[in-house]
Amino acid sequence: MGPQAPVMVITGTSRGIGRGLAEQFLARGYLVAGCARGQSTIDDPLYHHTQVNVSDESAVRRWVRALRTKYGRIDVLVCNAGTAKASSLVTMTDGALLEDIVRSNVFGTFFVCREVARAMMVARSGRIINVSSMAVGLHEEGTAAYSASKSAIVELTKILAKEIAPLGITANVVAPSMFASDAFAALGEGVQARARMKLTIPRTVTIEEIANVVAFFAAPDSSVITGQVIHMGLVV
Amino acid sequence: MITHERAIAMIQESTHGLRKAGLLAHDLVIHESTVLLGMGSELDSVAFVTLISDLEDRLSRETGHDQFLVLDDLHDFNGEEPSLTVRTLAPYLVEMARSS
Repeated sequence: MGPQAPVMVITGTSRGIGRGLAEQFLARGYLVAGCARGQSTIDDPLYHHTQVNVSDESAVRRWVRALRTKYGRIDVLVCNAGTAKASSLVTMTDGALLEDIVRSNVFGTFFVCREVARAMMVARSGRIINVSSMAVGLHEEGTAAYSASKSAIVELTKILAKEIAPLGITANVVAPSMFASDAFAALGEGVQARARMKLTIPRTVTIEEIANVVAFFAAPDSSVITGQVIHMGLVV
Repeated sequence: MITHERAIAMIQESTHGLRKAGLLAHDLVIHESTVLLGMGSELDSVAFVTLISDLEDRLSRETGHDQFLVLDDLHDFNGEEPSLTVRTLAPYLVEMARSS
């Protein structure tokens, strides 16, 4: 696409859905700026990696500022970074685990959305796509901390959508069902098996299917689609 | 080193940018008593947030250090005024640059 190639920022690109989406949109000609706590796992001239902990507010601000300087604009943001550590029943989940999940999933999404939205405000256009989870619709035992954090992402996105709609920026949520990733594995076999039984379409989704939803939200023709949640494989 | 006059000029340049981005209906002529936030301000909340982000960028470029404005700290510069004016913001920018 040359110098006019759209710029997509994706968090959590070292593995799983984030890495898969980065590869998908690099193949479509996007300039992709990714981040993760660790080093890059993507080798592509159109990919730019930064080591960032998205729950670190100052680090996020420095990172987004650097991206604004490097690219001059940000067209699409995909907030994917998060933690899905195995949790136990509410009565057995300790505060440290809860804090870790909320900091990573909620604080991280909040900080990145806020900073990128500011960058998009000047351009008066942009697409923000936050990644939630099937967990929100399943209300599965043993996922209280994780599901609460992913529910918070949905609510955050809906309010953000209303705040930035006058500026030509949309904000939506994709909630994938089972995707073969480390995060999904971390939920444990019991949770996975029960979730599979409750899904409307009881199979894993592919990265191409998730990218299809992201591409829909990111498309120019989707400028009137905002504050929406697409649950994949699940009727909520 | 950023002088008081340079800080005011930065605010003026930033508001020009807001005008170009369509966030301000017309160009503002910045002077000491121009209200940026609060009663009498011509900036809505989006324009104000964008102004602050732009000033952070400009200050970072001029000082060579990352700069993040903390609105709560502005109260220390003039806790008497109910609105945020250029008279309050400019010394804050100067102090941030000096202490970086």
